[in-house]
Amino acid sequence: MSTTPADVLIIGAGATGALAALVLARAGLDVVCLEQGGWVEAGDHPHYSSDWSWQRKTRWNADVNKRHHVDDYAVRTDASHVLMWNGVGGSTNVYGAIWPRYRPSDFRKGDEHGLQPNWPISYEDLAPYYDRSDRLIGTSGLSGDPGMPPRPPSPTGPLPFTDAARVLAGAFDTLGWHWWPAEAAVISEDYDGRPACNGCGVCSGCARGSMSKYSLSIWPKALAAGARLRIQARVLRVEKGRDGRATGAVFRDRVTGAMEFQPARIVILAGNGVGTPRLLLASDNLANSSDQVGRNLLHHTLTACEFWVDRKIDGHMGYVASMISREFAETDIARGFVNGFQFNCLTSTSSAGEIAAGWLADVKAPWGRGHHAWFERRFGHNLGLFAIGDDLPNPENRVSLDPEQRDEEGAPVARLHYRPGENDRRMMAFQLDRLVDVAKAAGAYDYRLQDYLDENGVYRTPAWHMIGTCRMGGDPETSVVNKWHQSWDVPNLFIVDGSALATGGVVNPTSTISALALRAAEHIRDNFRELSATTRPRAA
Amino acid sequence: MTATETAKLLAALVDTLLPGDTGWPTGATVGVQAPLAARLVQERGEDALDRLVAALGDDAAALLNGDEAARVAALTAWEARDQDLFGFVRDAAYMAYYENPVIVQAINEHGHPYRLVPHVAGYKLARFDLARDTPRHGRGAWIRTEAVQRVAVETLHLDDERTQNWGRKQ
Ligand SMILES: Cc1cc2nc3c(=O)[nH]c(=O)nc-3n(C[C@H](O)[C@H](O)[C@H](O)COP(=O)(O)OP(=O)(O)OC[C@H]3O[C@@H](n4cnc5c(N)ncnc54)[C@H](O)[C@@H]3O)c2cc1C
Repeated sequence: MSTTPADVLIIGAGATGALAALVLARAGLDVVCLEQGGWVEAGDHPHYSSDWSWQRKTRWNADVNKRHHVDDYAVRTDASHVLMWNGVGGSTNVYGAIWPRYRPSDFRKGDEHGLQPNWPISYEDLAPYYDRSDRLIGTSGLSGDPGMPPRPPSPTGPLPFTDAARVLAGAFDTLGWHWWPAEAAVISEDYDGRPACNGCGVCSGCARGSMSKYSLSIWPKALAAGARLRIQARVLRVEKGRDGRATGAVFRDRVTGAMEFQPARIVILAGNGVGTPRLLLASDNLANSSDQVGRNLLHHTLTACEFWVDRKIDGHMGYVASMISREFAETDIARGFVNGFQFNCLTSTSSAGEIAAGWLADVKAPWGRGHHAWFERRFGHNLGLFAIGDDLPNPENRVSLDPEQRDEEGAPVARLHYRPGENDRRMMAFQLDRLVDVAKAAGAYDYRLQDYLDENGVYRTPAWHMIGTCRMGGDPETSVVNKWHQSWDVPNLFIVDGSALATGGVVNPTSTISALALRAAEHIRDNFRELSATTRPRAA
Repeated sequence: MTATETAKLLAALVDTLLPGDTGWPTGATVGVQAPLAARLVQERGEDALDRLVAALGDDAAALLNGDEAARVAALTAWEARDQDLFGFVRDAAYMAYYENPVIVQAINEHGHPYRLVPHVAGYKLARFDLARDTPRHGRGAWIRTEAVQRVAVETLHLDDERTQNWGRKQ
């Protein structure tokens, strides 16, 4: 048992835990981070093996229920595929690093239609943190997009504009729709001691660190600043004292098996949109007077299209995302739903095996005599794109605890339920039609849609975005944390991971999650003395 | 089934799935059956090969001894009655085939700069050229924070759960 309280205890060493550790350790605070998994070394990635595509179906599968990794915890799901990675760097070990930002209206959905809350902060509050976190993380992109507020240039210029991007740009031009080169947490030039992207296209995480894997881009700096990272340390509960403040966390050392307690003045949860609500619910329903912990799970609406063109484009080369389109990003109720969506245009799969065995739309090559001719016609001619939109919160879409099942630590197993609502379904139906428009405008000789509905009509999205389950807000009745990510109930408890997002926006969330974590960590740093003693939340 | 017969069966199976063509060696020629067997065992358990043989039933004999038409008929019949195991075998065989250095060479010979382990050396791509690649379309708009306006959400009747049948099966 450790008896000396740390200044700050961070639970989870993923994207946001890393950023919080960096800021707070650099301020000279005594920071301890507990992470249930281990380090993921370059050699642990499949990237250096010839069977890397098979591995990403099996041991490197982002789905916790498919890969069966010892560092994972059990999550039962009745619909979504539960995608994440548990280890230092968290889900950035396997992510794709597509890096668009939220837009101003994303923060004002309460004003726009009231089916989502307003954020307690605005785009303008967050904008400087986007720029600063981008510089810490290492990103690429092109400024000047007329579809977004002005912003400074990315730390490195845009990634190569491939033939796949050219075909897609041509399609969007034909339709008269917006498009812009993709932004990515991938560096196009050597940056901060890491090598530029070499266009390998594997992009299921990045062993060389050209894609910002936070265990390579952020953690080394946090450790150099004095943060103490304890791996194989699974937190089972956060404890609360009589004064209503968190006192620290009970964890199991997964190497020795010993139960330990880490006391701390301030506790920061960074366990992601599943891990954090799971932990709060397992800690006697901590910080949950609103009954919102675990609720309002958001994944985004998601549909996809795969298509094939006559022109040889060899889309297996280059970073996985080619460009984005914000044509439908704002609400237009003439479409029959509120909120918008974005197109995330990919290149193709980097794997010849996946062209044959099925990629985005799970189209498979025929076996037998027709196989090779089919492959010749399809390989090098394939493209894909996603439509990803802002799903409405539903309190019944949630992370909860199984009333009976327990894991090997004796902790209740997490359960995940997600079902798209009427607005989401209308949006996805519209998305599918627009995806067909793109394929046709690109001159596709064949296209296939992906609606993620199984044979029973259950929407089984690949849930790489886990957000909303401890949302921030201006009202303690309907939110879990205030605008500084501080629990309404437990004044020295902060939630900085993706669960704090109030809405999902129309984009991949991690640039926003990171900017928010940076902002929250700086707030804790700047108010540490007061926060380490107060028994009341500071501000709404 | 003896070990020798099982080996022959797996070779016949992958050659029926991937029979080869001009410039494309057959599945068994490049040894797809070895990773296939390993993957079956790893993903489906130690007795996976026995279960595969059992699942093939009478069709195993046609695969072992039949001509191509008989082998195709045997696989077609198996595919129809056991989509799960057949699908696993097909996908694992496809992946193993395209992860083979000889097949990567064949892909290259067909004019594609494809690498077996691309992460090591990457692909040579032209840098983004600001003059050439920057979009000039001028399209795109966004709404300022203070300009966000109320929309007539009530006209959408979102409480009617009417979009039940959507997507590809619409
Ligand atoms: C396949 C995939 C692709 C993705 N692609 C993109 C993309 O292109 N763009 C984008 O913006 N986002 C993407 N994401 C999402 C992105 O990875 C996440 O948004 C981001 O990592 C979230 O950061 P986080 O800190 O909230 O959680 P994580 O990074 O998931 O970290 C949480 C950490 O907490 C640890 N933890 C949890 N509970 C405990 C406990 N009880 N005790 C100790 N440790 C604990 C976990 O082990 C984990 O390491 C993708 C995700 C996946 C899985």
